[in-house]
Amino acid sequence: MRKPAAVVSVLLLGLLAVGVAEATLAALIVLFSTILKLNLSVELGPHYLQLTLPAAPFRPALAVYSAGWIASVAFTALCGLAAATWKFRRWRPSR
Amino acid sequence: MKGLLRLYPRSWRERYGRELEALVDDLPGRTGVAFDLLLGAAMAYAAVIRGNRILSSAGAYLHGVCVAVLLQAIAFVLLVLSSQRSPDGVNTDVALGPLHFAAILWPVYLGPRSLVLTQSPPLVAWLPDLGLLAVLVAALAIVLAAPRLLRESR
Repeated sequence: MRKPAAVVSVLLLGLLAVGVAEATLAALIVLFSTILKLNLSVELGPHYLQLTLPAAPFRPALAVYSAGWIASVAFTALCGLAAATWKFRRWRPSR
Repeated sequence: MKGLLRLYPRSWRERYGRELEALVDDLPGRTGVAFDLLLGAAMAYAAVIRGNRILSSAGAYLHGVCVAVLLQAIAFVLLVLSSQRSPDGVNTDVALGPLHFAAILWPVYLGPRSLVLTQSPPLVAWLPDLGLLAVLVAALAIVLAAPRLLRESR
């Protein structure tokens, strides 16, 4: 009973960490788009979220597609898993 | 002030709790003491995490996730910088075969050319990007060095 509960806890922690990381990244992208004066267009499946600044000549638009978000989630989770595996294999009890 | 002792890990409290309680009784209740107690609790938890293989791996997972977020933020700023390599802007698409991840799209400007010439010179236009890049690289360096700094602060 304890082992499945531990596995579920670890999975939930991992998912929560990736979710918080992606939310942070989305907030950073919105902030940076404002600072760099970019129009932002985010594709989320069939929906589009658009943040548009007042019209001005030569204002570029940043588009983030669904594949970009999926790749970002995969990259974030893989980085975390790689770091955790590295630590787990190299861990030694402190003296 | 004694309530702050409850922030320490249970194993630590069972071993040193009474000693510290007596010590806190003798000390004046100042903000500095409370700060020391909070710092001590954080260090006690760090020691507990370091001593457990699973908790250490979970900490490393969170560290890896932080590094990934910073790397992606740096990639975002580099994408914007690369699209600004010409004063008129260059459409830049990040794609792998048929998969399109992100793109910077510049509008086609059909107005009078005189308005284009009033744009800032490239270096001035790059300043916000370069500032953000410097902040992000510094944050990445701090995050990468943090585990070693914490280990050495023991």
